Amino acid sequence: MLEALRHFFEHLLALSNPLWLYYPLCAAAAVVYKATKYDDPKTIARHALHFFLWITGGMLVLATVFYILSLVF
Amino acid sequence: MNGQYPAGGASPVAALVLAWAIPGAGHAYAGRWGKAALFFGCIVGLLVAGMIIGGGTVIIHRDTQGHIELWWMAQMGAGGPTVALTPISEYLAARAGPDIYANRFREVGTLYAAVAGFLNVLVMMDAYVKLAYPHRRRDDEEEKEES
Repeated sequence: MLEALRHFFEHLLALSNPLWLYYPLCAAAAVVYKATKYDDPKTIARHALHFFLWITGGMLVLATVFYILSLVF
Repeated sequence: MNGQYPAGGASPVAALVLAWAIPGAGHAYAGRWGKAALFFGCIVGLLVAGMIIGGGTVIIHRDTQGHIELWWMAQMGAGGPTVALTPISEYLAARAGPDIYANRFREVGTLYAAVAGFLNVLVMMDAYVKLAYPHRRRDDEEEKEES
């Protein structure tokens, strides 16, 4: 299981993984979305970073959970 | 970027139309130049990045069978830049032939351009609402009062 997880993360973090292309898209979407809600640049930056980390972190956790489930079942 | 939106004089509908034609122009019309630059940079940046990633063939309005591309309808949210990029993209797609659909990066580029369209719709609504309802409290004002 640990070996499989190590391979999973190696593949996930590999530079050849096209998933990296989606991070700038997610960052731009977070900035635009938060800029429509707030006016102060510092507030926009703080909330956009928070939003970006929640989405990417949440996706990473979900991917890991689904991968473990696929190993078990 | 902490200035107020003008309470009268500026037309919300004009801001909506301008924001569709040029991303960020609705906010520039309302005097919010900082936000206008931010929205223009992000939305046009996403469209251009999508074109580069997808090999320039991502903004086409009909597929090889002549059907309207649903992605293109989403991309049209970004208005003017999409209209300008469509003939360029279609020319490049016609030159490349049906092989464009085999390029996996084209899918990523298409998504970039579609998200740019969706985000511009959000920006258009923001420009409209901020001018139509100027006395509505902003979220960061509420946040300051809470803290």
